Amino acid sequence: MEAITITLNGREVSGHTGMTVLELARESGVDIPTLCHDPCLAPIGACRICLVEDERSGRLSASCVTPIEAGMVINTESPKVQERRTTIIKLMLSSHPDSCLVCDKGNTCELRKIASDIGIGVIDMQRIPQPATIEEVNPFIERDLSKCILCAKCIRADQEMVVEGAIDYINRGFASKPATLNDMPLENSECTFCGTCVAICPTGALMEKQPVYRGTTPTNVSTICPFCGCGCSINLGVRDNRIVRARPGKESTVNHGTLCVRGSYGYDFVHSPERLTSPLMRVNGDFEAVSWEQALDHMSSELNRIKKAHGSNSLAVLGSSRCTNEENYLLQRLARCVLGTNNIDNSSRLYSAASIAGLGAAVGFAGSTNCLDALEQSEVILVIGANLPASAPIVGYAVKRAARYKGAKLLLVDPQQTRLASFAHLWLRPRIGTDVALINGMARFIINEGLLDDEFVTRKTDNFEALTKDLKKYTPKYVEKVTGVPGEDVCRAARLFAEATLASIVYGNGITQHVTGTDSVMALANLAMLTGNIGITGGIFAMQRYCNGQGACDMGTTPDLLPGYQSVDNDAERKRFADRWGTDLPVNPGLTALEVMEQAKDGNVKGICIVGENPVLSFPSPSLVKQALESLDFLVVSDMFLTETAKLANVVLPAASFAEKEGTFTNFEGRVQQLHKVIEPLGDSLPDWEIINRMASSMGNPMPYSSLQEVMDEIQEMVSLYQITDYRDSQTKDIHRAELDRDPLKKRRLYKGQFPSGFGRFSPVHYEPPAEMPKDGYPLTLLVGSILYHSGTGSRSSRSPRLRAFSPEAYVEIGESDAGQVGISDGESVKVISPIGEVNAVAKITDTMPEGMLFMPLSFPSTPVNQLFGITLDPRTKTPALKACAVKLERAEPHG
Amino acid sequence: MPEANAAFQQIKNDALDHVQRFYDGSKPVIMVGTATCGRAAGALEVLGVIRKALDKEHVDAAVLEVGCMGHCYAEPLVIINKPGHPAMAYGYVTPEIAQRLVRDYVIGEDPSLEFTLGALEENDLIPSIYDLPRYSYEQHIILTNCGYIDPEDIRQYIAKGGYEALDRALRMQPQEIVDEVRESGLRGRGGAGFPTWQKWEACRDAPSKPRYVICNGDEGDPGAFMDRAILESDPHQVIEGMVIAAYAVGARYGYIYVRAEYPLAVRRVQIALRQARSLGLLGRNILGSGFNFDIKLFQGSGAFVCGEETALIASIEGKPGIPRYRPPFPAVSGLHGKPTLIDNVKTLAYLPQIINNGSEWFAGIGTEGSRGTAVFALAGKVINTGLTEVPMGTTLRQIIFDIGGGIPNGKRFKAVQIGGPSGGCLPEAALDLPVDFDSLSEAGAMMGSGGMVVLDEDDCMVEVARYFLEFTQRESCGKCTMCRLGTKHMLEMLTDITQGRGRVEDMETLQELAEDIKAGSLCGLGKTAPNPILTTLKYFRDEYEAHIKEKRCPALMCHDLIAYYILPDKCERSCDACVGTCTVEAISSNRKGIKVIDQEKCVKCNTCLDACPPQYNAVIRLSPPELVPASKDKK
Repeated sequence: MEAITITLNGREVSGHTGMTVLELARESGVDIPTLCHDPCLAPIGACRICLVEDERSGRLSASCVTPIEAGMVINTESPKVQERRTTIIKLMLSSHPDSCLVCDKGNTCELRKIASDIGIGVIDMQRIPQPATIEEVNPFIERDLSKCILCAKCIRADQEMVVEGAIDYINRGFASKPATLNDMPLENSECTFCGTCVAICPTGALMEKQPVYRGTTPTNVSTICPFCGCGCSINLGVRDNRIVRARPGKESTVNHGTLCVRGSYGYDFVHSPERLTSPLMRVNGDFEAVSWEQALDHMSSELNRIKKAHGSNSLAVLGSSRCTNEENYLLQRLARCVLGTNNIDNSSRLYSAASIAGLGAAVGFAGSTNCLDALEQSEVILVIGANLPASAPIVGYAVKRAARYKGAKLLLVDPQQTRLASFAHLWLRPRIGTDVALINGMARFIINEGLLDDEFVTRKTDNFEALTKDLKKYTPKYVEKVTGVPGEDVCRAARLFAEATLASIVYGNGITQHVTGTDSVMALANLAMLTGNIGITGGIFAMQRYCNGQGACDMGTTPDLLPGYQSVDNDAERKRFADRWGTDLPVNPGLTALEVMEQAKDGNVKGICIVGENPVLSFPSPSLVKQALESLDFLVVSDMFLTETAKLANVVLPAASFAEKEGTFTNFEGRVQQLHKVIEPLGDSLPDWEIINRMASSMGNPMPYSSLQEVMDEIQEMVSLYQITDYRDSQTKDIHRAELDRDPLKKRRLYKGQFPSGFGRFSPVHYEPPAEMPKDGYPLTLLVGSILYHSGTGSRSSRSPRLRAFSPEAYVEIGESDAGQVGISDGESVKVISPIGEVNAVAKITDTMPEGMLFMPLSFPSTPVNQLFGITLDPRTKTPALKACAVKLERAEPHG
Repeated sequence: MPEANAAFQQIKNDALDHVQRFYDGSKPVIMVGTATCGRAAGALEVLGVIRKALDKEHVDAAVLEVGCMGHCYAEPLVIINKPGHPAMAYGYVTPEIAQRLVRDYVIGEDPSLEFTLGALEENDLIPSIYDLPRYSYEQHIILTNCGYIDPEDIRQYIAKGGYEALDRALRMQPQEIVDEVRESGLRGRGGAGFPTWQKWEACRDAPSKPRYVICNGDEGDPGAFMDRAILESDPHQVIEGMVIAAYAVGARYGYIYVRAEYPLAVRRVQIALRQARSLGLLGRNILGSGFNFDIKLFQGSGAFVCGEETALIASIEGKPGIPRYRPPFPAVSGLHGKPTLIDNVKTLAYLPQIINNGSEWFAGIGTEGSRGTAVFALAGKVINTGLTEVPMGTTLRQIIFDIGGGIPNGKRFKAVQIGGPSGGCLPEAALDLPVDFDSLSEAGAMMGSGGMVVLDEDDCMVEVARYFLEFTQRESCGKCTMCRLGTKHMLEMLTDITQGRGRVEDMETLQELAEDIKAGSLCGLGKTAPNPILTTLKYFRDEYEAHIKEKRCPALMCHDLIAYYILPDKCERSCDACVGTCTVEAISSNRKGIKVIDQEKCVKCNTCLDACPPQYNAVIRLSPPELVPASKDKK
């Protein structure tokens, strides 16, 4: 890039081609006030505050949109500039209400700040108020456009950052304002209440609804959002040990100033009145609040008793993909060293075990192969089995930005019409459970047409011949028959994917929660390797439902793997851990989560310790799970709330929320990010890591950690994936960024395009007809998934007042023709019945569902969708099929 | 490329054949001007009457709809071309006159000279229209065919030499065309007068593809209708110009942007595009040259700001019509981020003739810095409203008085508003200013797209400034602070002044604010919006002072500053004309029978003034209202 030298306020400074005067000035330490400029947005030069004078011509120009030119003589503070700037601020203030004293924006208002910098006190202009009614029907955002200065940041944030297209300019002249289509209320628009506009608004025009406090918060702490696996940085404003506001962390390389509705407004479950604030112990059938000593004493004597009487393997532990890495590490150590069993598993068994097995076998590492920025740079993005706008909104934003602004072509595979459909270049709607056939069909076409990346396949992979042979039967015709996708579309999709230099694959629970989940993941890996799209660019992106689904598995809360995916029957590795922990470790792989339940029902498992998980709701066949837990001798649950599972426990331990503890989460990219303590634990609650420590001590086998830091140190020492210098340093906010140029990266990613083991391995997989196909008497296929306004089984999101207010009850989405057949109208109460069970829900008739298919969210505790599922396990990973099942539909009350 | 030549020759021969058969001298040809100006005056009714009359009398005559000749004041306009007679133009044609013309001239032999504007060709008997004084000042280049050909028949355009320039251009190197345009000195007719060739060269040198050519027909100024008239009267010259421009810059696609409020222009352009395409003058492999270019018509939704090029482009892209900052200029990054040449209707219309007659010919017309002609739409208090095309450098006086015929009703000229809401008001002292890009901007006005509104002594200059500002404020896109809030503040101040609430310091505040907005706005709309205020403050300061200091409107126009009064010595006692018309019963007779207006009741509707018979002229307006003598006797 060419260097350009200009004179700035009498000083010579240099920048490069393409830089604006504003950028160069800021780089040179010269402050120019701005209102409509934001580094996350394309500049528009609307507010005119940043006017500067070119002294050669005397012309004024907006520095944010003026490119630097050699020889410019810029004065940022000339009398002319100052005079215009003053006029602009006066014009704005003369149309701005005098409500600064009661405005929630307080001293973070940028208009007020610039006015005071310039020294404007009295407005000597006529007051011309902007007429506006305050919009406050929705539970999230309050719009008071009388304070709007029309910087259009909200409009641009909506269009450029989150690409929802909910708002734009409306009207002209003085009446112009940002508005939804036809100026409807936000809740009737495309708005998803992500809060990005609220965070970016320079004045008090856009604020959170229901603020508990008006004004600036004294403390603001950045931490990591506790909901999905995206791992967004959120900045929490705190007053009086209460979180009053959440804003996107600006510095984050994950979310770049954006959030979703869960991140912006879902945090309030922390202050739910239902939070447990002291340990509970079941006495004569009822819970009683007890002291920590009492609870732990009771627990340890019971567990020790069972261990002694029935052996270590009569005990089991369930960890959580919502707990930190440190907590999961401690928990598996508790299970293996203190209880002496490998019966330990975590909830990602239910969602993403297929990724670990599938990617582990093909790529050699169990997780996404690249970072989010690389995804956004792709030329073709294949999104399959993932409703990103609902399940991983930040990844959804990146995909939409790539498709809308960066020329990427989106190849969408989803039977359901998600919000991504309108961004798709090509949208395939296969029958449920036929993904393997579709992907194999694409792979076959790529090989047959010679579109594969020969060099990559030859030099970096093996087992190619077996794959070629096995794919023979997946002709377009066969694939069309199986999937329902026209053969020519399969070929088009394959060609599109293969011909892109940079292509990425994004998949989610729509792939992994099927019985054939592992097969599908392997098929996707085959596709990526065939086209040479695993490396420094492009890649496979495996979505995680929960904030630490990746980390929980990395930490070895699994029955067969030690921390860092070392097999428990690998003697050398087991010895390494045994030496470090100073005790022998159980040799045989333990029971997976579902197997634990089965064994408990059969009386072989007698005591279970559950940390942060709610199997009664999240596992299939809740009645069986309930029966299993009820038949236990002893159940101890550590949770924030008295969940459906905790209600069955003998001892319930009150856990602190994400905001009350330190630790790390590993997001879907494999980025290890630090949590920071925002408030003190409520009541007597404690962070799970401390609870686990206390449990170990009380069982007479204390673990040698006096601080969380020592746990971190040990993880770093023992888990090669986490051998990152900065991991130790709690001041580093984003460990991933620090690690970018470091060698250890190659352990997590395909460093310089090299597979961890040297070669990627093609694994031929075959299409098996799905078990969830419609059958006699159950003509419809029900899809179950997450929705934007809730998270997981809803134990947290249903306790967030604002999320619950907006999305209060379960519904079932029904296509128009299916609804017509059963005679159901919108808003009516219906029964969804499977061979296993039934649930009631409100009918929501949409045009997004194909015929024969229904959708239900899984996040409403009062409507446990999993009641409809029996236990069908992926043979490789023992993951239960929880995505789809055959059902029929009935009206809840027949017409009278 | 001889093939191209042959292909075109064939097209041309066919067209000539057709037209010659039409004018074979066997039957009269009657042309009715049915552009919007004609229609507003009743041309369609006249057309119907003529057709019916011919039918009834079984006269074999051809009836053609043509565009606007520029004599909008005389619409409906009918041309009768009778074999053996010079073609005759008739103005102010009513259905009755039309009836008579058919009877007396088409069937009979009486040319009805009392209705004629003149003959359209030199002859020994009847004075020619070209003997009118205006024609000694006018020089028609792009208006040449307007009003003389059927805009819905491409063959008539071709028979007049149309598309010859395209044929010629396609056999030139693109660079030669750009050179020709540079030599001609053609500057953009959209208002700013940017040298056309510079845009072309920038667009052609921009590396990315495809390139676009856009014809900006989003004419939105109050009082301007040149582009509409050209698109309605001779759309092919614009299309031909666009294809030439596209060939010169290497563009593949084009848009003609016309506002939906011009339905007739939209229809005629659509027909023209279809016809050009069917003859291979547009689309793939134009005239066998291998050059591909096609044009779509885009209908704008009527926002004034969409005349600004970047807003227009946003509008085509389906976004709100809001300007963006420049650079990058559209020539480098325009429609969909691709190099886009965007030129005004008139600029493009000049091209065929520049290619046909050479740059030297064009450069020989007009003044040093402003070559060629200028087309103005004369409107307001001028006798001959309509279009005129004059060489650059013609003075305002010549345009308004010699071409426009001066001010009607013997009133005094006060000012001329040039360039629409972005232009300025020039006073009598500026009448001898030669009209070209540079002298107008020096005087504080601008060429604009060519609107010229003449104001007389009854027009209040403060009110005129307020009117234009109300327009720009309403049409501001609202994006940049200066324009959105600044124009609103100026408008409020002007409203206060016209309503008698002005303060002395307002004049200074207005001046300062106007300069701030001019310097600090994002696009041309904001940068020029203060011009009406700045020029009226400069040339008509006394009127502002009268409003502010004396609460007096010198032109007796500002509602709040005037009162109606009946002069007792002029009032005819037995006449009740005003009493009967007063809508609010504010007028009564006193004991002597003289009419008196109850000022409290009067709503200043002007009805009594209109009703008072001219021989008395007893009702007058007074400003300030306090001048009305206190009434002594109450009934």
